[in-house]
Amino acid sequence: MTRRGWGWPVVTAVLVVALILPLYWAVLSSLTPESRLFAAPSLVPRALVLTHYRALFEEHDFWVPIVNSLVVAGVTTVVSVVLGALCAYAAARLRFRGKAPLLAFVLAVSMFPQIAIVSPLYVVLRAAGLLNSYPGLALPYLSFAMPLTIWLLVGYFRQLPSDLEEAALVDGAGRLQAFREILLPLAWPGLATTAILTFLYSWNEFLFALSFTLGPERYTVPVAIALFRGQYQVPWGQILAGAIVATVPVAAVVVVAQRRIVAGLASGAVKG
Amino acid sequence: MARWIRFVVTALAFAAVDCASGSAPAVLTFSGSVVGREGDVIRRQLDRFQREHPSIRVAVRATPDAADQRHQLYVHWLNARASEPDILQLDVVWTPEFAAAGWIANLDRFHPPLEAFLAPAVAAARWNRSVYALPWFVDVGMLYWRTDLVPHAPRDLGELTSLARGRDDRGVPFGFVWQGARYEGLVTVFLEYLGAFGGRVLDDRGAVAVDSEPAQRALAAMFDAIYVDGVVPPSVLTWQEEQTRFAFQNGQAVFMRNWPYAYGLLEEPASTVAGRFAVAPMPAAPGGAPTATLGGSALAINAHSDQPDDAYALVDYLLQPEQMIERARIAGEFPTRPALYSTRELAAAISMPLADALAIIERATPRPITPVYSQLSEILQVSLHRALTRQQPPRDALREAAVAMRALLAAARLGPPA
Amino acid sequence: MTAASPPPVAPPSWRRREARLAWALVLPALGIIAAVAVFPIGWTVWESLHLHDLRMPWLGRPYVGLANYAAAMGDRRFWSAVGHTGVFAALSVSIELTLGLVLALGLDRVRRAAGLVRTAVLLPWALPTVVVALVWRFIFESPAGLATALAARAGVTAPTWFADAVAAWVPIVLADVWKTTPFVALLLLAGLQAIDPALSEAAAVDGAGPWRRFTGVTWPLLRPALLVAFLFRTLDALRVFDVVYVMTGGGPGTATEPIALYTFGTLLQNLRFGFGAALSVIVFVTAFGLALAAIRVLGSDAFLERRP
Repeated sequence: MTRRGWGWPVVTAVLVVALILPLYWAVLSSLTPESRLFAAPSLVPRALVLTHYRALFEEHDFWVPIVNSLVVAGVTTVVSVVLGALCAYAAARLRFRGKAPLLAFVLAVSMFPQIAIVSPLYVVLRAAGLLNSYPGLALPYLSFAMPLTIWLLVGYFRQLPSDLEEAALVDGAGRLQAFREILLPLAWPGLATTAILTFLYSWNEFLFALSFTLGPERYTVPVAIALFRGQYQVPWGQILAGAIVATVPVAAVVVVAQRRIVAGLASGAVKG
Repeated sequence: MARWIRFVVTALAFAAVDCASGSAPAVLTFSGSVVGREGDVIRRQLDRFQREHPSIRVAVRATPDAADQRHQLYVHWLNARASEPDILQLDVVWTPEFAAAGWIANLDRFHPPLEAFLAPAVAAARWNRSVYALPWFVDVGMLYWRTDLVPHAPRDLGELTSLARGRDDRGVPFGFVWQGARYEGLVTVFLEYLGAFGGRVLDDRGAVAVDSEPAQRALAAMFDAIYVDGVVPPSVLTWQEEQTRFAFQNGQAVFMRNWPYAYGLLEEPASTVAGRFAVAPMPAAPGGAPTATLGGSALAINAHSDQPDDAYALVDYLLQPEQMIERARIAGEFPTRPALYSTRELAAAISMPLADALAIIERATPRPITPVYSQLSEILQVSLHRALTRQQPPRDALREAAVAMRALLAAARLGPPA
Repeated sequence: MTAASPPPVAPPSWRRREARLAWALVLPALGIIAAVAVFPIGWTVWESLHLHDLRMPWLGRPYVGLANYAAAMGDRRFWSAVGHTGVFAALSVSIELTLGLVLALGLDRVRRAAGLVRTAVLLPWALPTVVVALVWRFIFESPAGLATALAARAGVTAPTWFADAVAAWVPIVLADVWKTTPFVALLLLAGLQAIDPALSEAAAVDGAGPWRRFTGVTWPLLRPALLVAFLFRTLDALRVFDVVYVMTGGGPGTATEPIALYTFGTLLQNLRFGFGAALSVIVFVTAFGLALAAIRVLGSDAFLERRP
């Protein structure tokens, strides 16, 4: 940091460009007519068309998976942040026996490989008539969303100063009142970060969605684009258009909340 | 906070109710391919059927187009003994599996006119000597060849290779393209090579014969076509139907193995080979016969259907000659009634010359008729692909596949019919 | 692990009430976790002791003891899937840590357009893995994808990527590296920024060159962050599924099939629930054992405590 050379900026720039380039190529290709997709690749756009996007929504009802994903990720986020905040508050502020094992347990569950619980969840959801339904997807999602939110929020609550709450307690406020009126207003940035990360994970999730949805009417966006093909076709233009559409909400969240996400990542609490 | 929780619980409950409520009884449910042209034709025919049978109403239930996904959905429905859907469009290879599981109804009591349908398609719809589904339309593998590049369709596999080799001076990059990705399509191609050499997957007693001498020769021929003769590009090992069609349509290949659907698309103005190609049965090698793997769909009735008689009435209706011809005209799918192949109506409905179509369809050969076909096929897919991507010598791959298949059949305990 | 201290005087009844309240707050979340994560594991263990094949309902669902485990131990496809998973994890994690470290050191020096750069870096990490896999599959599609075309322009004949048992790993590992290097870099960047710059400056005053400063100051102080990144990435790489499912489906043959994909195919495509459950239990025990070992190494505080 003492000397300013050319080496680091160049290396960094090369890596950043390498990160952007594939995405640029995908966007460009999604705007290229099908007939030119595999003809003489060029990084400079020539004829750009919206046909793939139009086909995506007009022929393939791409709204359906988008709505499904929004509903499932939204419900998962709300439930896990609400219940996770309560649990995290208890773990961060209250004294009770069994707290350490509780936290260890939550941590352990967050390490569960998803594939290990797919088959029993499939059987249970089928028995409950919940396969191919919104709750049938939101419930399994809680298996990774709950530990994630608890984990992030315990860390966040602990980091907030507790003297204001203690003052309120001394003034005769109840614990819940102190939580609601003092901690929550202070904690909203942490809650927002947690909600954003939970939403991202739920939006991107693939294995459960692939296993527990049975038809296009309940596919989430990742499943819809992964299984996107007719009986014989590989419509690359439309597949890429779908991939770009799936990226838009994620990109919007990243642009708006990049600072927060980085802070959340820095807490060492987020898995890749 | 409590309000939030209540809201979420209510929302979940609503969603659950929403999914649990089905349609009212006394309505027949039809499930199958209902998008695109197939959707057009099925909706038309169902409308007409309802007009002719005012007491019956038919609802359509969409299913995924990908075979694996549709199969999974059917298993989910039928394994739960749901009474809906009443009528199922089955891939031709699923019938024995669903029949053995007791999921679809024995149709013998309706005395269907079996002799009117293509014999191999009927054979594929039987299990334990009873018929469980009726053939709706057929797909057959065939050889597309360029009339402007070669003088005539190859008479045997050797001639195919030599004709395909001669392409170099004409600037055509590929000699022969087929579906070589690791999926069901690879098995259908292999079965055509297998028949060409006189081999079988299962012999007449149902024993595994995929490691027999003809089978070894068949796989060796596929391997050599890629790595020795150089007529088949290695890229085909990642290709399904459409990639082969694109290559052929862009004039990049002399020969292509594909299904009938490609014919109409290749005749369209955008195709560079329109008017410059024809179809023929896949050629044989010495000791074998030209073979066309049988694909297509059959109609079956849910074993737990509340109204099997009405369901059969609909199946019977959809299998009438007029409906089949309409289906051929709109969706390009071939009728299962051989008698239709000498009619002017069908000649007008499809773009392929009827004589060519019939010559191929007469070669139709079902895939192994067994309830565990899907599992056998998966074993075969992996072994064939390993051999063709040079991970294992073809001989070893087939031997390993045979061992795995025998173990599977033993585990499945499919004894002789009780 | 220091919780907020309770008010100075806390009579026993007050304590009991607090504990009761705490459990009331904890139980809903705990109940859900138990229902959707713990109970299924128990069920899987039980299922793995049975023959249960949804595609062969005529066989019933008899108890078979450890037969499914024995079958797995004698299954070549299982062992090669284990091998593929290990190779993938080793390859991708080592590349990601190396590139991530370089990127983090670079980002640490970025002064202008930091927000823009951060967004660019964050984007691949935030994308659905399915999207990442599709984009890279498109790039490596044969015979006319971008990768093959570029290779041809450079005068090299590219292999048929997805039909070659070795070459097929290239797009898979690349896609994973592309998606996860940013995560590693940001994790390491946080570690870097926690290092007091005065240390490095003092070393510079003492005449240490850049390399000495890196090995003497930065590296030892960054080691904990590297360890965290290494363990997270390894645990995650061992679960690899999405990328391979979308890109190769495990092919050619089964040359790129990881254990999660083999288990998935067994369960949900072949519907062999008993054998699939045995595979799941093996995966679970292995992954969980590694996770516990990781917690041991790091101490659970490393997971729970926020660093500034």
